[in-house]
Amino acid sequence: MTASQTLKRLVAPLVDPAVYDFWAQKVHPTLSWDRCLARVVERHVEARDTVSLILKPNGLFAGFAPGQHLNVTVEVNGVRLTRSYSPSDAVNKDGRIRLTIKAIAQGKVSQHLVHNCQIGDVVELGRAYGDMTLPKEPHAWLFVTAGSGITPIMSLLNTLTQRPLQQPISLIYWARTRADLCFSEALHEMSESDPLLKIHTVLTRETNRVDKELDGHPRESLFRNLVPDLERRRIYTCGPHGFVQSVESLLADKAAAFQSESFSPAAVVTTAGAPVSVFLSKSNISVQIASGVPLLEALEAEGLKPAYGCRMGICNTCSCQKQDGTTTDTRNGNTFSEPGAVRLCINSANSDLTLEL
Amino acid sequence: MTSSMTSVLKNSAKTHRPNDTQLAAFGAELDALRERTLTDLGERDARYIRRIYAAVRYTEVIGRGLLFFGLFPPAWIVGTLLLGISKILDNMELGHNVIHGQYDWMNDPHLSGKTFEWDIVGTADHWRKTHNYSHHTYTNIKGMDEDIGYGVLRLFPEQRWRPFFIGQPIYALIFALLFQWGVAIQDLRFGQYFKGKKTGKEMLEEMKPFLKKSRRQLIKDYVIFPLIAGPFFVPVLLGNLVANGIRNLWTYTIIFCGHFTADVELFPKSVLRDESRGQWYYRQIRGSSNLTGSKLLHIMSGNLSHQIEHHLFPDIPAHRYEEMSQEVRAICQRYGVHYNRGPLVKQFSQVIWRILRYSLPSKYVPIKASA
Ligand SMILES: Cc1cc2nc3c(=O)[nH]c(=O)nc-3n(C[C@H](O)[C@H](O)[C@H](O)COP(=O)(O)OP(=O)(O)OC[C@H]3O[C@@H](n4cnc5c(N)ncnc54)[C@H](O)[C@@H]3O)c2cc1C
Ligand code: FES
Repeated sequence: MTASQTLKRLVAPLVDPAVYDFWAQKVHPTLSWDRCLARVVERHVEARDTVSLILKPNGLFAGFAPGQHLNVTVEVNGVRLTRSYSPSDAVNKDGRIRLTIKAIAQGKVSQHLVHNCQIGDVVELGRAYGDMTLPKEPHAWLFVTAGSGITPIMSLLNTLTQRPLQQPISLIYWARTRADLCFSEALHEMSESDPLLKIHTVLTRETNRVDKELDGHPRESLFRNLVPDLERRRIYTCGPHGFVQSVESLLADKAAAFQSESFSPAAVVTTAGAPVSVFLSKSNISVQIASGVPLLEALEAEGLKPAYGCRMGICNTCSCQKQDGTTTDTRNGNTFSEPGAVRLCINSANSDLTLEL
Repeated sequence: MTSSMTSVLKNSAKTHRPNDTQLAAFGAELDALRERTLTDLGERDARYIRRIYAAVRYTEVIGRGLLFFGLFPPAWIVGTLLLGISKILDNMELGHNVIHGQYDWMNDPHLSGKTFEWDIVGTADHWRKTHNYSHHTYTNIKGMDEDIGYGVLRLFPEQRWRPFFIGQPIYALIFALLFQWGVAIQDLRFGQYFKGKKTGKEMLEEMKPFLKKSRRQLIKDYVIFPLIAGPFFVPVLLGNLVANGIRNLWTYTIIFCGHFTADVELFPKSVLRDESRGQWYYRQIRGSSNLTGSKLLHIMSGNLSHQIEHHLFPDIPAHRYEEMSQEVRAICQRYGVHYNRGPLVKQFSQVIWRILRYSLPSKYVPIKASA
């Protein structure tokens, strides 16, 4: 532990983090007692509806491994929202992180980051997570991505190509049109300078395709043609849920190893009464409850005893943090998929949930 | 028309209760107002509460700073006032409202109703129980809402007179000066201990969080800051004492004006049986009263000057009550529900009148459901 960490621990009982942050941020906008804040220092347009933001985090950032993701929290119209984004560059010595974000139609966070975010804005970062990282020993790789799924792969490629490759690497990159492709130039240069790196782009909606650009959806013949030694490749695939699923069903049992990460959420349960599983993260237990029933009742039916008062949504006693999943407000039927406080007595489960209980 | 007839008419207008069908429609209108406001929450509300937070911080630092020069009387006076204002803002517009979960939708861990702590001897946890739960759920139900007289005052003819209440003007004054302590120990139920229903050990166990919090507050205001001031120990200590006192008197005044003015009603426990949303709304309105006044009054009272709106919509950011109150009044008017409001001086005179009047014996009025 460094001297400053020791000092911090000693004075911690006297410090109200909110008060500390308030005054510290008068000095510098990313200073914080216990939160990892990062400032947007650069912004580049990367492709259609896609920008890269360069972030400079404060000293509380614990770093990331290429291929991992960060939970990014931004405030949009007064509400703090959290989404995952993957650093799209190798680890930089100066500590800056590049995120690349594609604006999703009606997407709350992506629209904000792509269109409204300004240099100087501050976002909060969580700990890096994800295990599509690079093992120590070299491998023959196949990276299969679609849309914004390119981001963690770009971080891996930038890291791998810092030295001459020892094993072949192929990237097959799906996008709608050429205008949607990110990092085209960088990828082109990379493949020019190392013959072991092969890059293929597949455009599903491009009207005037130029040489070598492919079309169509993922299919076995395409993979076999482009990567004849499929059997000895390790595969990482990344992109929207449906894409990742179809690649998985085509390739999972045909390669040396297969790992995937889906960037878009799976559909939520909507039939009331269908069972969902609720993970209570503080007590570390899981229970099965019926969806559509107020959570307080449903959890009590499982023999649990969450705190409550009025049982009608007034007193806030039953409020607890929902870390994951979708709930419905039983009073007005509004659904709520963001992490945040939920009152158990007036919200029912709509999907599997993680509650801080 | 004789004057006594007018007053009978007036009174019945004040206690008029729409029938259950009307109350259902009444409730639906209030629900709709609630939904409209909820969907409109955003940036503006976030900015507002952060400005209040900043005001708390700045007034505190400037107030405490000036108190270090407390040997110079103007500095002491302004410093004490600013510190009092800081505590009032912290307790009312910030703490009280945040603890209700009014800003939970922002998802800001520093403004979370579940974890927020405030600059007062009572713990936020305890407050969540006595206030958010008991008082807001059982508003003005005799025997369930412990805020009715706080166990020491007789404010309604529906409470039985005992000779003890003769001294109530004095108790009320002491209670006002020590209001934060009264509120802090409200849930500890010393009565049960004195009656032997609780052992000393149990009592002590229940008191632990309160003791810890109040020790922290006492050390902060009466040891650490005076010590930092060195030779000016005494003026700083006195300034802190007076600032806490100002906050106590003010919060007491506002809170008593919210429920103990002349026309508020008490309800029997039986109203809870199958109480509909509309009936619940009706009870909240009839058990509360508003203060009219300037924007400053509203902010300094944590918008509890809109006590009626606060009781209807306890989880909506309180700075919205002003605009909501226009609609609530119009709705009440349409259904003939009396909406009790008046300037601070008038409302507080009525509170004082209740304190004085019901210290003396009066005919015990058994409580009746107003249906
Ligand atoms: C591990 C992980 C890493 C990710 N990395 C990146 C990244 O590097 N760059 C990047 O741009 N995005 C990335 N995403 C996606 C990102 O987290 C958000 O899901 C995306 O930006 C949409 O958020 P939103 O708030 O704009 O949309 P929301 O307001 O949450 O959703 C709006 C609508 O879009 C749908 N939707 C949500 N997400 C997607 C999606 N990814 N694709 C299509 N439709 C969607 C929703 O179902 C909803 O109907 C990653 C996701 C995960 C899980
Ligand atoms: S129990 Fe009171 S809000 Fe849920």
